[in-house]
Parts: sequence; C-alpha cells; structure tokens
Amino acid sequence: MRTEHRLWVPSRRRFLTLSGAALAAPFVITGPARAAGQVIVRTPGGAYDDIMRRHVYDPFTQETGITVMPVAATVAKLLAMFKANNVELDLIDTGDGPLVTLGRMGALDPVDYGSWKWTKPEDVGAEYRSETRVANFVYATVLAYNKESFPDGKHPKGWAEFWDAEKFPGPRMLADMATSAPDLEFALIADGVPRDQIYPLDVDRAFKSLSRIRPQIRKFWDTGALSAQMLSDKEVVLGSIWNGRLQTLIDKGAPLGFDWTGNMIQVQALGVFKGSPNKANAQKLIDFMMQPAVQAKYAKDLQYGPTNQKAFGMLPADQVERMPGSPRSKEIGFMRNVEWWESNRDKVNRAWSRWILG
Amino acid sequence: MPLRHFAKWALIAPALALLLLLFITPIGWFISESLAELGSAGEVWLEAKAVLGSRAILGAILNTNGIALTVTLMVLVIGYPLSYALSRARGFAFSLVLICIVIPYFTSVIVRTYAWMVILGRNGLINQVLLGLGLAAEPVDLLYNRTGVIIGMTYVLLPYMVLTLYAAMKAVDPRLLQAAEGMGAGPFTVFAKVFLPLTLHGVTAGALIVFILALGFFITPALMGGPGDIMMAMLIEREIELSQNWPVAALMTIVLLAITLLLYAVYARFADRTEEGFAR
Repeated sequence: MRTEHRLWVPSRRRFLTLSGAALAAPFVITGPARAAGQVIVRTPGGAYDDIMRRHVYDPFTQETGITVMPVAATVAKLLAMFKANNVELDLIDTGDGPLVTLGRMGALDPVDYGSWKWTKPEDVGAEYRSETRVANFVYATVLAYNKESFPDGKHPKGWAEFWDAEKFPGPRMLADMATSAPDLEFALIADGVPRDQIYPLDVDRAFKSLSRIRPQIRKFWDTGALSAQMLSDKEVVLGSIWNGRLQTLIDKGAPLGFDWTGNMIQVQALGVFKGSPNKANAQKLIDFMMQPAVQAKYAKDLQYGPTNQKAFGMLPADQVERMPGSPRSKEIGFMRNVEWWESNRDKVNRAWSRWILG
Repeated sequence: MPLRHFAKWALIAPALALLLLLFITPIGWFISESLAELGSAGEVWLEAKAVLGSRAILGAILNTNGIALTVTLMVLVIGYPLSYALSRARGFAFSLVLICIVIPYFTSVIVRTYAWMVILGRNGLINQVLLGLGLAAEPVDLLYNRTGVIIGMTYVLLPYMVLTLYAAMKAVDPRLLQAAEGMGAGPFTVFAKVFLPLTLHGVTAGALIVFILALGFFITPALMGGPGDIMMAMLIEREIELSQNWPVAALMTIVLLAITLLLYAVYARFADRTEEGFAR
C-alpha cells in the first residue's frame, strides 16, 4: 500500500512540501556505524516501527550485529532521491503499489532469494513473491458496521447491501483517491460484477455506481487515522476500513463489527533500493523478516496476516480466523490487482477529480 | 553605490540567499526537471492547455480562492477586535490573551485539526449542547463540508492576523486619539477617522499574509472538508504522490504561484499608494 504510510499521518505530512520533495534532503546519520554496518529502512513509522523493532530489528541486530535505522519517506521523496542520483536508504517497506512503480522505473534491485539462509523462499506464498519485491504482511479492506445501528445479523452483508441505503440507512464512508485508490472494486461488486471478473476495472461503471451511494457518504477518508476516528465518533455507521484499524477500535471496546464478505486483500512489501549503500545488509534483513516465527510475532501484534504460510500454524486459531490472507478471507474476498492500479492510477485520478467536483 | 544602498542590500542579502537556496532553487529544479520529462516545448504547451482547460483544476482554483477569501474575511472580523483588546490590555490580562493566541500555534496543525473534529462532529460538543438545549432537532453538520474547512482554517490562521494587527495598533500614538476626543469627536468618529485609517496598513498586510497562506492550505481542508472541498495544494499533492505525474504537478504549481504573485503585485501597488498618501 501506499496506504500503510498513510496510517501515521505526521510521517506522511512531514515531507509534503514541494521543496522537501525536490530537495530529498540527506538523512543525518549521527555517530559511527558499528563494525557490522547498518541498514536504513523506509517504514510507515509510528506504532508500526515499535512492533517491528521489538520483533524484527532488535533480534536481527542481536543475531548479526547490523543496526537497523527506520526512517520516514513518501514515495515522492524516494522518487526524488532516485532521480537526483542520491539514494540514501537501503530497504523500502511500503505498499505493494509504490514498489511496482519504483520497480518499473528501474529503481529496485532484484530480491536475492538464492542467498536466504533463515527462510525457505517457497514457504512464502507464490502470489507474494516477485523479482523485485516480496510481501511482508497482508491486510484487508473490510466492511465495518456500528452495532448500535445494526445489531449482529441485521447488518449489511457485502457491498451490494452496503449500497442499499433504504434497507440500511445511515451515513457512510469509503476510501478517497488520496489513499492511493478509491474503492472502485466495491462499487463494481455492488453493481453486480462477480468477484473474479473485477479486473480490468470498468472505471465508468464504477463511478456510476459510486454516484448512487454518494449522497449517503459523509466523507471519503484519506488516512487510516481519519477512518478510525469517524467510526469511533459515530460520524458514520458503515464504512470501508483496513482490518487492523478496525480491530484496534474493537479491542478498545467500540461497538463495531466486521463483515468479511468481499474483503479486499492487499499487501505491504519490501524492495531493495538500487544504488543503496548497504544492499547486502538489506537482503539479509529481508531474509530475517520472512521467517515464520518472526512473522507470526509481528503479524499477531499488527493484526495483519503473515506472508510465510508456515506462520499460520504458529498463531492462535481464533486470530487466524480473522486474519487477512487466511484461507477464509481468500475464499470470500479477492486480491487487489496493484499492477492494474499502477498502470491506470493517473487515469482514475483524473476521473476522480472530475467526478468529485462535478 | 551610495553607502545607504549598500547597507540596505547587505541587510537583505542573507534572507535573499536563504530564499534562493532553500526555496527558489528547489522549486526551479523541480519545475524544470519535471517539464523536461515532456520532451519538447510543444508538448509542454499542449499539457499546459490541458491543465488550464481541465474542469477539475478550474474548480479547484475557484474553491481555493473562494475559501481563502472567506477565511481572510473571517479572520479579519474576529482578529480586529481581538487585536484591539490585546493592544489595550495590561499585565496579566495581556499575557493571558497572548498566550491563548500563541500557544496553540506551537501545537501541530494535525492535533489541532483533530481537536476541532471532536468539537464539531455530529456527536461532538457543540451538537450535544444544541441538542441538549433543544436548539436543534437533529445534529447540525459543521464538519466534512465547507463550514468545517472555514472554521478550521480561520482558527489556524488567526494568530498571523492578530500579531500583525497588534503591531500596527501598538504603533498608533494614543495622543492622536486624545487630540481627536479633545476636539469633540465621539468614540465612533475617533475610530472611523483616526484609529482605522492609522491601522489600515496592518489590515492589508495581515489580510495578505492570511490569504496567501490560505491559498496553499492542505491538511485542514483534507481532514475537515467534504468530498468537493478540493484545494489546489491537494491536487498538486495527488499528482506528485499518487499519479507520480510530475509535469502536471509542476504546471499546477506554476498556476498557484502565478496567482499568489499576481495578488502580491496588486498588494504592493496598493500598499505603495497608501504610503504615498500618508507622506503627503
């Protein structure tokens, strides 16, 4: 996702001035790096960094002596670095989509599966491995409902019912273009398109379908934080949301529920920045992060699904049940086609602007 | 070069160098690099025509100017009396008002914006009071629409106006007001004929700062606005971050920059005239 870096708003905004993007100011690296060296990782920041430090970075340093330094950077900043020939970080931990774009621009080195010593590459699901990127966790966009408005069993099941404002009245939210991709897939499912025939997206049909529900949309959310806030403040009683965000609210006692019908599976992935100063260390960190035991630990805390299929066996059964990318989630959901989005985002962005201001 | 001129330029030089290094160079680099991607001047021209002719961008330009203008007026209406009170207050009262205006300014814009969301929401503080007192039958929509954007931006930009106006009001010689009173002018006449004209340059300066800052606003409208409240900066961000269409982003940047500079030119002319007027 592009997505995940939007979970933590400040890290995203910090670099959002044009000058910042253009300057690609060097990261200040203080103090001498240890003998074993270091690896600088672009991460989404915030709570994500804490979890990864505990379960991945610190154990990795103990094992190898290599220090891990997480930094924030938007895709535009990464692109500016690459264009300015000034690559200062090694590993990119971000949405699958931006990595596809960077890969197409020739900004990524191949993932060196042959050098792995901790992880068996074939344990990582085939759909999560590609030449220049490998997914490190799976998340899903799900249908959230407020239980005070819709008691369990009487809530909308799937996107066709989400679109039915007569049967299920109340303000709703869906994802904004600014999340990297609006919920066009859900709009098509609501309009009767079968889950296995969503791609290539019929953009016109999707926007027509969105127009039908638009009067009920209180806001299109552009960050994970905003989507969580709107649900917990009861600004909306129905909405699309990332499962991890929703689970956090439920764990805090909010009267909210999941509906996994038509959940959209998305992945976060790793890629090695071409021209990076510590690329060998970056390859090692990928290998380390892909181990089933390591993935099981961070997936449990993140509430997101592992990509190493062996990790499912190390997680509590009830959590596997509500984990993106689990057999159940795959059975009733679909996987977002990022390749399609990376090829068509520009076109959709323009259509979105016309639609939203029209 | 006369010494006076040399001294003037020597004083300006550091600021100019900083601006050149940190603002003009990167922007110039960004714009030229991005436009170079298009290949030829003909291509740039075609793209520029497409950008200027696009309904989305025209809509955003209208939105941006409309919002900036409304916010500037709101800030002025709230800021002028507030600044007056501040310029008259002494001791503890002065510190208190100043702290109330300035402290929030040190807090992150995002935090302040989220605070507003708690206050203005359908189940927020204001709606609970309205519903509780029976002043409204159902929640009033104060958020995720134009009203929300205006409230949020007015709040964020208020300190710029207040501090500018405060400086202008503090500079007014109180003896001028006393003299006017002494010659029989009532409070309204003193205000309209003496105080207001003497603080007018503060009003134009404050309004300009607020307006120009408002033109580039991004976070507040993104968080507090409705689906249609798209401002230029939001479109530019999307072109850079999402579409990675830097040529179009560069062209939009030029449009926004041109609007800003045009307004500044108008202001500069206007400000020169008023100064001449005072000199005579």
